[in-house]
Amino acid sequence: MSLGKQRIRDVINVIKNIVDNRELIATLAWKNITVRYKQAYLGILWSLLKPLMLMCIFIVLRSFVGINSGNVPYPVLTLAALSIWIFFQESASEGVTSVVGNASLIRKIYFPREVFPLTSVSTKLVELGINFVILACFMAWYGILPGIYALWVPVLVFYTVLLSLTIAFAGSALNVYYRDVSTALPVLLSLMMYLSPVIYPLQLVKNKLLIEQAAGAWSSKLYFLYTLNPLAGLIDSFQNVMLRHQPPNFDAMLPGFCFTLVLLPLSYLYFKRAEAYFADVI
Amino acid sequence: MPIIEVDHVTKEFQLGQLVSLKQSVVNGLNRLVGRPVEERKPFKALDDVSFSVEKGEVLGIIGHNGAGKSTLLKLLARVSKPSSGRVSVIGKVAPLIEVGAGMVPDLTGRENIHLNCTILGIPKKEIAWKFDQIVSFAELEEFIDTPIKHYSSGMKVKLGFAIATSVDAEILIVDEVLAVGDLAFQRKCFDRMQDLIKRQGRTVLLVSHNIRQVERLCSRVLLLDHGKVINDGAPTDICNVFYEISDKRILDTKLSAAARSGRTLTSGNAEIESVVMLDKRGNSVTEIEYLDDVEIRVGYRILADLPDPIFSIGVHTTDFLYLATSQSIGSLSTGTLLPGHYVLSYTIHRFPLLPGVYSLRLGVALGGSFQPVFYSENVLSFQVSGKQINRAVQSQYREGFVGLDGEWELTAREINNASSRVAIAK
Repeated sequence: MSLGKQRIRDVINVIKNIVDNRELIATLAWKNITVRYKQAYLGILWSLLKPLMLMCIFIVLRSFVGINSGNVPYPVLTLAALSIWIFFQESASEGVTSVVGNASLIRKIYFPREVFPLTSVSTKLVELGINFVILACFMAWYGILPGIYALWVPVLVFYTVLLSLTIAFAGSALNVYYRDVSTALPVLLSLMMYLSPVIYPLQLVKNKLLIEQAAGAWSSKLYFLYTLNPLAGLIDSFQNVMLRHQPPNFDAMLPGFCFTLVLLPLSYLYFKRAEAYFADVI
Repeated sequence: MPIIEVDHVTKEFQLGQLVSLKQSVVNGLNRLVGRPVEERKPFKALDDVSFSVEKGEVLGIIGHNGAGKSTLLKLLARVSKPSSGRVSVIGKVAPLIEVGAGMVPDLTGRENIHLNCTILGIPKKEIAWKFDQIVSFAELEEFIDTPIKHYSSGMKVKLGFAIATSVDAEILIVDEVLAVGDLAFQRKCFDRMQDLIKRQGRTVLLVSHNIRQVERLCSRVLLLDHGKVINDGAPTDICNVFYEISDKRILDTKLSAAARSGRTLTSGNAEIESVVMLDKRGNSVTEIEYLDDVEIRVGYRILADLPDPIFSIGVHTTDFLYLATSQSIGSLSTGTLLPGHYVLSYTIHRFPLLPGVYSLRLGVALGGSFQPVFYSENVLSFQVSGKQINRAVQSQYREGFVGLDGEWELTAREINNASSRVAIAK
């Protein structure tokens, strides 16, 4: 009982910390964006390059192997998946390097250190907004209108933020001690892309495992394992609400959501414990 | 109620490289099964430090490089945590540790002001009205929209100082920032600091190697050495102790310098065997008291006949400024010296050089022709200490080398106020 109260107080503290430091986070995020695109003619438009290029590659790939995209045009389907995926991938990997990258500040000035991972995620949130604009353009081109379920989008984006933070907190703290983390993470994340429904829709996996039972007795277990990846349910749900006029795919989200619910507090606690020694070790 | 309390604080660092991933996994496993773990010896940057600071106090922290000053400031700024003990700080702390920590070269001066003010915790609306004040203090009106990568280093430091001192914090932590910019700006910084301290009654912690500045600004000084507080008290006393230690250190490095600098010329007919300095009681010393009697004893080995040699002994500073020389001509007649071993003794009464580190030079020349036989500089370094001299009078740039032996007197010729007719003498 008292443990539960303690938890609630912890959560309130975390939120209070974020609110107290919102100006700092906003200013640092603004700095990140300004510095990155300062002397570039195209500026922040460069953030469109990655999703559009990957989309083109996937379209070419699809022309060889044939991926059934249901009744949604494949380019829009994969672009929707990519906008969420790239946001997750970049905010997680930026978050992991954020603490080490701000070593000079950490050695000199105190403020709650979670500001750094939070700033990385906020920075990427701006780029996600720009990607959404391009997604809207594609949807308009193909004549797809988002339905009432599109109101779920903020919730799904918030969920993605939590996912990125789960990796960013523990990763950035570990990275202070072992720089291996920031080297290994991009590799692991690009592996994870193939395990998430980015190139292909989730429906294909579901058909293979749950309907065709392709792996025999292991099929449902494998499907469970697949949906333990929070991105699996998340990306499918995003496509549902934006493109298919359907509610989020709660069945596919549940395992990953529970998994995150366990990992996020652990990751944050580890970060707070390691925080005190950042200035000595970094 | 003290505003800062440091209670038996120890800060340890592991020496050497970080443990590899493999090693920490092995250590973790060993710890799990209860086997002893190979630990490296920790380095104590701070060793059982305790003190407290009252509101409005200006505390100077002095000590040699590596004494633990910066570590202490980091603990007080909450950047780092102590290994054991407790640090409690009431109120907001503004760190001026190496100003410009958050400067971004690609951003303009204006953008950097906004960024750094936010990092230092100044709310947005306050930045708006502090902005002009910062710009005019830093004298950067013309360049405020230029990226600071194009600034000169002086301009950057000015901007950093202006931002850092605009924070409204109860406690200011200042680490070697007053030595910034040109002379005029240094003066301005100094005035700003004095204004913050004296008029606004802030609590200030000041770390500096500029001892004179510490003496002038602080109300109390803490002397750190090898992580320990070795002295805590009035600025003048503590700074004197620090000067003594500094001099001793210079002497130690002089003595340990294997390859002695300084010229040595010899004709091969004479060489030194030993040089010692003796105090009143006849003990061999390297530290003498100001105005004490001292005897210098030099052992010479003479290898050829030397007709009427003239001996000389001189004193120079560590940077080879000749201060005094004494020659035996006219006061010591030896006739022709035959080959053999000799001991030369020279006694100085009331050694007149002011406290500091000095060195001896020695020479032997032939009488009549003044042809040099032997000459060597920097043969023996020694320190003059002056317990009875107040170093407060001596500035950071020393006031000279020689003490004068005189009498002071002040007599009143005419006093206009008849009620307070006093004669002041001596």
